[in-house]
Order: sequence, then structure tokens, then C-alpha cells
Amino acid sequence: MINWSNFVSQLINGLALGALLALISSGLTIIYGTLGVLNLAHGAMFMLGGYAGFVAYQATGSFLVAVAAGSVALLVLGIVMERVIIRHFYGRPHEDQILVTFGLSIVMVEAVRFFFGSESRLVPAPQIMSGVTSLGVMIYPTYRLALVGIVAVALLALYFVLYRTRLGMIVRAGIEDPVMVDSLGINVYRVFMVVFGIGAMAAGFAGIVNAPVVSLTPEVGEAILVQTFVVVVIGGVGSFPGAVLGGLIAGEIISITSMINPGYAYVMLFAAMTLVLMLRPHGLLGTPGRE
Amino acid sequence: MSENDSNGARGGRRDFIRAGLGVAGGLVLPGFASRALAADQPPIGTWPAGASGNSVFIGIAVPRTGTYAVQGEDELKGWQLAVEHLNSGHPLMKQISPKTKKGVLGKEVKIGVADSAAKPNNAVQAEQGFITENKAILMTGSTSSAVAVALNKLAQREKVLYVTGISGSNDTTGKDCVRYGFRQCFYGQTAAAAIGPVIVKAYGKNKKAAYLTPDYTYGHTVTKSMQDYLASAGWTTVTNQVAPLGAPDYSSYLLNVANSGADVLINVNWGHDAVLSTQQAQRFGILDKMKLVIPYQIPFLAPEVGNNLTAGVYAATDFWWTLQDQYPLAKMFVQEFEKKFGYKPEWGANNAYMSFALWAEAVENAGTFYPPDVIKSFEAGRKIQSTVGEVYFRKEDHQLVRPVFIVQGKKQSEMKGKEDFWNVLETVPGAGLMQKPDAFGCNLGDYT
Amino acid sequence: MMAATPHRRRPPYLAEILTAAALIAAPFVLPYFGSAPNTVNRILVWGLFGIGFDILFGYTGLLSFGQSALYGTGGFVAAYLLTRAGFPHVTTALLIGMVAAAVVGWLVGLVALRRTGIYFAMITVAIAEVFYFVEFNPLAQWTGGENGLPGVPTPVLNLGFKTFHFTSGWALYPFLAFWYFVGIVVALRIVRSPVGAVLRAIRENPLRATAVGHDIHAYKLAAFVIAAAYAGLAGGLLGVLQAFMPPDAFTFDTSGQLVIQTVIGGRGTLFGPLVGAGVWLFLQDFLQATLGLGAAWKLVLGLVFVLLVCFLRDGIVGAIRDFARWLDRDRRAAAEGTALPAATEPATPPPALRARHGNASVAGPILQATALTKHYGGVVANAGIDFTVERGEIRGIIGPNGAGKSTFFKMLTCEVSPTSGRIVFQGRDITGLGVTEVCQLGLTKSYQVNQLFNKLTVGENVTIAALAALRGRFRLDLLRSTATVPGLEEQVAHTLALVHLASRREVPVSQLAYGEKRRLEIGLALASSPDLLLLDEPLAGMSPSERAETVKLLKSVAAGRTLIVIDHDMDAIFELAQRISVLQEGRVLVEGTPDEIRANAKVQEAYLGGVGEAHA
Repeated sequence: MINWSNFVSQLINGLALGALLALISSGLTIIYGTLGVLNLAHGAMFMLGGYAGFVAYQATGSFLVAVAAGSVALLVLGIVMERVIIRHFYGRPHEDQILVTFGLSIVMVEAVRFFFGSESRLVPAPQIMSGVTSLGVMIYPTYRLALVGIVAVALLALYFVLYRTRLGMIVRAGIEDPVMVDSLGINVYRVFMVVFGIGAMAAGFAGIVNAPVVSLTPEVGEAILVQTFVVVVIGGVGSFPGAVLGGLIAGEIISITSMINPGYAYVMLFAAMTLVLMLRPHGLLGTPGRE
Repeated sequence: MSENDSNGARGGRRDFIRAGLGVAGGLVLPGFASRALAADQPPIGTWPAGASGNSVFIGIAVPRTGTYAVQGEDELKGWQLAVEHLNSGHPLMKQISPKTKKGVLGKEVKIGVADSAAKPNNAVQAEQGFITENKAILMTGSTSSAVAVALNKLAQREKVLYVTGISGSNDTTGKDCVRYGFRQCFYGQTAAAAIGPVIVKAYGKNKKAAYLTPDYTYGHTVTKSMQDYLASAGWTTVTNQVAPLGAPDYSSYLLNVANSGADVLINVNWGHDAVLSTQQAQRFGILDKMKLVIPYQIPFLAPEVGNNLTAGVYAATDFWWTLQDQYPLAKMFVQEFEKKFGYKPEWGANNAYMSFALWAEAVENAGTFYPPDVIKSFEAGRKIQSTVGEVYFRKEDHQLVRPVFIVQGKKQSEMKGKEDFWNVLETVPGAGLMQKPDAFGCNLGDYT
Repeated sequence: MMAATPHRRRPPYLAEILTAAALIAAPFVLPYFGSAPNTVNRILVWGLFGIGFDILFGYTGLLSFGQSALYGTGGFVAAYLLTRAGFPHVTTALLIGMVAAAVVGWLVGLVALRRTGIYFAMITVAIAEVFYFVEFNPLAQWTGGENGLPGVPTPVLNLGFKTFHFTSGWALYPFLAFWYFVGIVVALRIVRSPVGAVLRAIRENPLRATAVGHDIHAYKLAAFVIAAAYAGLAGGLLGVLQAFMPPDAFTFDTSGQLVIQTVIGGRGTLFGPLVGAGVWLFLQDFLQATLGLGAAWKLVLGLVFVLLVCFLRDGIVGAIRDFARWLDRDRRAAAEGTALPAATEPATPPPALRARHGNASVAGPILQATALTKHYGGVVANAGIDFTVERGEIRGIIGPNGAGKSTFFKMLTCEVSPTSGRIVFQGRDITGLGVTEVCQLGLTKSYQVNQLFNKLTVGENVTIAALAALRGRFRLDLLRSTATVPGLEEQVAHTLALVHLASRREVPVSQLAYGEKRRLEIGLALASSPDLLLLDEPLAGMSPSERAETVKLLKSVAAGRTLIVIDHDMDAIFELAQRISVLQEGRVLVEGTPDEIRANAKVQEAYLGGVGEAHA
């Protein structure tokens, strides 16, 4: 009964979806892991990265510039947001942090709607990556394949920063024990700022590289946000490898379920999250006892 | 509210709820005080309150944000033009509604517009406000059939007339029909019956079809109508991919379609969903393998989807501006619209204009705004000259009997102007396309 | 806080009376301000929806973005009964919908409440989305899918001699106002009940709430179900209001709107959601219609929301309440200034509690730990500790930093389960039980770092601890007033007297001096009249005079109890304890009387290596 060519196509599709989710979720998980802030504006940041890239694309016609613009714009926005707003919330209960990021997400979405309207905006894929590639059993849009590669490179870059630089070490230490890092005389607030910026940049980068696949509307970040939460819960909060693993798992769940009945993909994702919560509450690669 | 309360509350009765109701009743029905002066019927809905001044109010709930925003704006312009023509007694309006002089029964028409975002909840909320605050005597607005059905029910409860905007589901004049609701646009059944023969002729019998269906009743009814018709020509459905409204990524669905071995892709998605799914279908190479058919055309699909993806595509639609060569009233309409708004109207705008014109015609013929009389005027089934020829309402389900047009997308090289996207191939008269009046379970309610 | 405590001379039921008056006056007053009846009706429905949410979020501190799931469930069950199933009676259908929502809420809570804080919020988001999807697609037969369920009838009240048809607009208002009033009255009772007090404790300090003997998971689930019931009823009323049950009752946006309205209006006030709904609907109209902003009104609202979260934490109603308190501050200062004479300690604790710990008559040591070991990964915190304490003893535990003292205490109170070993308390094996159960059995601890309920007053803090002692780990006494719990007042007064805080009863914890906070910390542990009281560094951070006073306090507290005290202050321990155990590197080094320990060479070496005293 299984159509093998369909199965393989969906597997690859799942890889593409999963890679993107992995990248976005990494941003969310390192922000939460380090700062303890659940960034409900993460989906909106994904959307903003797309629009920033769109504006750059309109101005220059270059996809590369668009990607750079989307990433840098969000890096700056993340740093500013942390500095101006989030910083004042560290002493406040978690719920207040959630509320303020939730409010900011609304402001971002509505601001974009105000300036750009509700119609969809298109950022075309670069010429060399457009069109289709034949993969034997199927044909697949070239750009989506390229996307897997692009995102993989971005994840590698993030890995490099986190695991091979001094900054990354401090960040990982901060995820484990912010108080200790502070006691060691390291300016924890500067670390937080950088982490928030990096997390935002990851989302923004994902937003612009994904723009040729789904066109941009102000609502494009909403669905992504929920999927990102699920990935973080499955992978384990604060764990970068967990986000990657969780993302890939989520991507595959969505595509394989789609083979049978695309409508149920969401439910399956949620079922997977519930299963993880029941059996291994701290996530597949998370640290036990971590809230 | 019980009419008896008007005699209620005396001093000494401690039931403050009843006192409150009594006073509230007095507030809600201002006509109450001048009861003796009104016509011999009791008040109903917003009549006579909404018709007692020198203007009447129409409440419009239209999507200005969200998936159907672009189509909504086009519709809105149609209504605005219609109101302008009514109030000035424009010749085009007089062709459709000969008894119109200026305004409707001499009263100026005013409108209020609210953003429904294609959500039934918002539309109902807005229209309720228009009814209680502005005493609207007519409601309109929908691109989503869910809104149409919700407003149908509201109309019947509040006893205020409702004419649909765009509504493609069979249910609107089917199982969810109401005495106070009227529809003039085409819908699933008529679209399928019109386009079916065309694509069978073009592509042959016994073909395999893949469907992309949006997951709500508009989608399901149109898909079903298509499947039912095509089955008679031996066509089979190899896959029906049902996607949620507003899905951002159709890749999973399209992969299933690509691997289904279908000859024809029938895309029932609408609005922005149609744009996105079609663009993505092209990227997956599906449009090279299969023919695309759009059974319920979407305003602005061709320019939004880009890349001349609509070339050669068959679609069924309500109106296209090149009909101006076929119908003199269409020519007038297109000219007036383009003069005012700077582009050629899409079918939503025409639909909207028509709906107001038909309503004005019904009211003028009834000679009153009293809702049951206006309803009976609609139901009389007079033949009316419109922008698409002669039309009339069917009294059993309040559906307008009107033609459906089959169009085919033009290749870029064939386009003579920047809006010349479609070629009108066929004009299919409406009567032969429609189902029997009770086939979809329509049970109109009461007049009062 | 809405509760009227016995000490205030505010008229009882003031809030209920004012609410009733406002609801009655509204249809006469509001039209002058241009309010449309439909808007007012919607505000009432949102307000009712929000009452439950406020109990869940404002009072218990659980931020849920999934309330729309329950709102929709209740609404659709009621609407389905009234439309497709042809059920005749509107009010009954609404109540059935409410019950259905409560049941679903219970099931959802079982899953969602397994995690707290952030996880909980994320799970509720996911739940909201899934419910929407399920309602839309697989269950479309029952819910009408995208169309929703149109044709919901309006209620009719037949009193025999007179029939009321509540149709729409102001005619429907009394029906909605009635339910809102009922909702507020019930909520006010809940909030003033012992359950309400526990919920607030959970919000303030879930760790301590568990430790003083409350089964916080059960209370949270109760709060969740209560919120679900309110949501379900409100959903049903929405269907009646619109004559149509819309599918977007289920969307995440609905949950989000509820959260925003509650925060704007004021969380933890019960009336906040009503005010917030008024603000939202007013702004929606005003910004769109009057200012012609069109779709940008939501941007303005988002900005307002962010500003409020940043600067006006407790929303509009909270700000009004704080302002009223600020105006009231002179009167309150005067009330507190009246110093009560130094309380003479009642000779015996209230009889009720003494009888509770029936095991007091069991012979043998009150506590016996055998081979107690705790590993954290590769680190061995405690290794094979054997430890016995006799009834009525005052035992001291000392040891250098890192000796594993706090870990040992955590195992004794069952906050942490041992890797191996056994603990027997009053003849009963308590290894592997939970901290709540152990507290109920009569073993409590006062913490090294204060674990107080910070936003509450001293009296409220002790009340919460006492409530666990008097009512057990969980009791759903939602509708009784805290003031009527038998024995509560005596227990609270007695405990406050014991720790010399009776005169500070009405003071919020945040205004206490450090020493007072430490005393309250001890008071919380005492409030359940434990047989065995553990004290983790009770003298930490105190000045010499404070220490002396505290040692005196501890001696007085020791009457009729067993104490185990960890501290670094040698002088204090030697004075206080009858026997001392010395821990080092996770093991018991030596045990003996203070003199023996003082002279013990091994102990001296363990601390500073040599003759002389070690001071922490």
C-alpha cells in the first residue's frame, strides 16, 4: 500500500522541514536555557527576518543581500529588545516575561501588517537554485534541497560558536548555572544580550531563507511558534543538540503523517510531545530536573 | 422580548428585572412611542425604525485583513459604486432597477464597513452592532461561506435582510438557507455543472483527477460537486488532499499529488491559498505533468500567482470584464468602475454591485421597506436585466438564476493589455446548471 | 486581595452588593455613554470567562494559553444540544456544557499540569491549537466545522403567570448579568475560602506550599477545573448571545485575547477581566470607527498591553486598589502601631492538634535513619549515615562546608529521595514518601534561605501552614470562609505568639526586618505543630543580639517537641543542643554532648586543623 516514491519524497521533505525547525528551535532553546525567558515573540522574529530580507531584496535585487539583511536586522533587534525591555524582567516572575514577549509579538505582527498590508509578499529564490531537480524517484524543487544545505551550514556555524569559542563556553555555562557564571566575574548581562541577539538572528535567518518557499504574510510566524515549542519540549529545554534532534523528528512526523492524511500531521506532533512528556519529561536530550 | 412588558412595571412591584425589561424595551423600540403613527403592521426587525428617516443604512462586514483581504477590497468597491449610483440615480442603475429615481424609495443610502477578516464571529459581532446602533435595514458581506451562513442565521433571527457577497458553498442556499437571505453569485453546483463538460471535452473521458481542497464546507461541497459530475464521464479521483485554510506550506500535499499519477489537478483552494498552492505546485513540477483546473475562480489569481501560470487553465467564474463586448450593461459597469477606481473590476466587485442593484429593484417594486414585502418582491421572480443578461430569483431557495462563464487563461504573448488574463470561452445559462430546489435540503423559514 | 479578614471592619459582602448594584444600574446608565447593548453583553461574557482564568492565573499563578479549548468545548456542547439535538431547555444545556468543559478541563489538566511554569505555558499553547484543529476537522459533524453551529436559541423563563423571552440586546442583558453575578459570588467565596488561600500560596511559593503539607498538584488541578467550568459556561453564553457558536471560539487568538484583557484589567482581582474586556472592546470600536485607524487598532492595543505589563503590573483594577490602599495607609499604620504587649506564651498548644499526632505514644526514638546515602552523579553527598534522635531531644548538627548537612536534611524531610538507606519516623518507614505527606505526619523544616509567601501578610503566611495541618493535604472546601475553619484562629494566634510576631500580623512579608522574616520562617514550620522540627541554619545572617534572642526562642519552642538544628554558630549550638552530631564529607564523624565535641581533636582538625574554636 505504501507508495515508495511518495515515501522517499516525504522523507526528504521532512528533512527540509525538520532542518528549518531545528534552526529556529535552537534559537528559542538557547534563549530559554540561558536567560530563562520563554520568547513568545520568536515566531514574530522569524516573520520579521523574512520582511527585512524582502525590503533588502526590493532595494538591491540580490538574494544574498536579503539574507544578510534579514539576519543582521534581527541580531540588532534582539540585542535592542533584550537591552531595553527583557533585561528589566529578570527579577520578575516567569509569567511576566511570557506576557511581555507575547505583547511584543503582537506589536511586531501588527506593525508589519500596518506597513506592508496583509497581502503576501514574494521573495524569489536565486536563479541558480530555482527550478526542479530530478532525484530519480521524484522531482523536487531545487531550492528546497538547497535549503537543507543552507540550514545545515547555519546550524554548523551555531554549533561552532557554542562549542568552540570562548563566548559559546560562557553561554553553555550560563545555561547550566547563571549564578556561578556571575560569581566568576563574567558580565552575565552582556552574555544575555548576545545570546538573545544570536537566538533572534537564528530565527530571522530562518525567516528569510524560508521566504521563497512560503510567501510572506504577517501571520507566517504563528504556526511556526507552536511547532517550535513542541520541538523544544521534545528535544529538551536548553539543549542545542536536543533542538536539532527534536526538529528533525518533528519534520519527519509531519511529512510521514502527511503521506497518510496531511490534516492529522499537527495532531501527531502533539501526540509525540505528550508521549515525551509522559515518559521522559525533561525531553530526549535535556537535563533532568531542569524546569 | 415579550410585547406584554409594555404594560408592565407599576410602582410597588419589586421585580426590578421586569422594570428593567420594560424600560429597556422602551429603549430598544423607539417606534413604540409613535406606534399609532406607523403603518398597520407591527414593527419587525429594524422596521420601521430604520426606514423612518431620510436615509437608510446598510451594514457591510468584509474581510480587509487575512487570507481573503484582496478579494474583500474588490468587493467593497463594488458596493461603494453601487451606493453612489443609487444615490445619484445613475443610468446604469436605472437599467437594472427601472423604478429607481434617486436613492431607494427616495431615501439616501448610507453604509458602514467593518473588517470581518473572513471570520464568522467578527462578521456577526459587527452586523449586530450595525443593527442595534444604526438600525441597518440590509446586511451584506462574505467571501467565506462560513460568514454567509452565520449571517444568514443572524438575518433570520433579527428579521433583517441579508444579501451575500461571495459565497461558493452549496449550503448557503441549501441546507442553511433562510427566508431573509438571498444569493446572486454562482456556487459549487453550478460551477461544476458548467465547467465539467468543458474539461471533459478538452481532456477526454476516464481521466484521473487529483484534488486540492480547503478544509471547510465551501471546499468540500465544490469538490463533491466536481467529483459527482465528472464521475458520469468516467473520471476517477486518485487523491483528495485536504489542507487547512491558510496553510503556509503545501509541500506535503503536493508531494502526494505529484506521486498520485493524476492527469488533472483540480485546485479548489481560494484566495491566498490558491495563489500559494499554485505557485508551489509549479515548483514541484506538477504543472508540467498535469493540467490545472480551477472550478471556482479567484479574483486577482492571475496577476498574484505570476509567471503566467494561468495560461491554458480552465476556470469557471461569475464575471470577467471582457463580457463588456457581450452585454451592454457590463460595458457600462466596467467603464464606470474603471473610471472611479482605476482598474477593471473583478467578479467580486460585479457581484457586489449586482446584489445592491437587485435589492433596490426589489424594494422599489415592493414600494416599502417592510421586510416580508421586500422578500415577496424578490420571490416574485421578475426577469431583471443585469450586467450578465437576464436574471431572476428562484423563490424556493432564494438563489439567483444567472449564467456561469467558462474562461481560459491567456498566454503572455496573447495578452493585449496588462489586465487581459482570461478568454471567455462559453456562457452557460444558469437554469440548466442548478439542482432541484429541494435537493440540498433547503427549508426557508418564516416571513415574520 | 479581595478577602475580608476578621480584623478589618469592612462591611461583609461589600463586593457582592456593589456588583449587583452596578449590574442593575448598567442598562439605565450606560446608554448615556453611548454603549451598545451588544457590546455590554459581550463584555459580560468575556468577564465571566475571565473570572475563571483569573482564579487560575491571577490567584494560582498558572498562565494558560489554552482556555479557548474549554471555552469552545462548553460552547459547542451546549450549542449542539440546543441546535442539532433539539434539546429544549437553554439553561440546562448551558449547565451541561459547563460540566462537559469541566470534565475536559480535568483531563487536560492531568496532562498539562505535569509540568510547571514555562513548560506548562507551552503545553497549553499546543493544547489550544490541537483542540481547534480537532473541532474543525474530525469532529466537523458535531461542530459544523468551519460554519460553526448556527441557530442557537435564546432562553425563555416561564414563571407560570408570566413568560420572559430573553432575546437580544438589552432584553438578553438580564440573563447574562445574572450569570455573571452568580459567577462573581461563587468566585468571591472560592477566593475567601481555604482553597483560595492555598492557591495564593502556590502562586507565591509552590515549594513552601508543598512543604507545609498541601498537595499542590491536586489544588492546581482544582483551579484548572474551576477555570474550565467558567470557560465552558461563558462559551455557551456566547452561542446564545450570537445565536451562533463560532469555530473561532477555539482559536489561540481567543486565549490570547483573554490573557491580554485580564492583564490590562488586573490579574488577581476577579473584576480585572471585565474591565479589560471593556477596554478592549472600547478601543476596538474607538480606534476603528472614531479614529479611522482600520486594522492598525490592534497595533495600538499591543503597545498598550506591553506598556501595562512593564509599568502597571496589576492592571487597572490593581492600580485602583493600590491607590486606595495608599490612601488608607495612615489608618493602617495607626492600627499596626498599637503595640501589643509582649505576648505571654500560652501554656499548652490547642488541644486539637496534639491529638492528631497519635503516634506520640509510640515508644522508641522519634527518628531513626539507617545507612542513608545520596549520590549526585559521581558526587557522594551523604554516605551511609546512621542517625537516631530520641523524643524530646534537642540535637545539633555541625560540620564544615560541603559536609552534606543540607542534603541530609532534605532526605529527612523527603524533599529528595535517598540513593539508599532507610528513614523511620515515629515507628513508620517514611523512605521515599513526599515532603507533603511527611509534613502531615508531623515532620517539618524551616529553611536556610527564607521560603516565605512574600506578597502575603504575616498572618496569612501562618494561616496557610496551619490550614494544611487542620485540613489535611487536600480538601475541596471551596465555599466556606477561611474564618470559619475550626481551630484555625487559635492555631494561628498560638504560633504567632510563639515566634513573637503577633503584633506584626497584618504586615506584608516584604516589609519585615530580616530577623522578623527568620522568625516567620520558623513560624511556618511550627504552624503545623510538628513533633519533629528541623531547623536549617536558623541563625544565618543574624547579628549577635538577634542570635541570642533566637536561641531563647528556640529553647521555648522546644517544649513538647523534638528539634534538630544545623548551624555554624558553635556557641549557639553548644548552648542549645543536648547532643551534637558532627558531619564531615558526607559521613558522621562523631556524636556526643557539647563538652565532648568541644574537646574532640578530630572535630578541631576537621574545621581548622588545630586548637581553637571555629567560627562560621
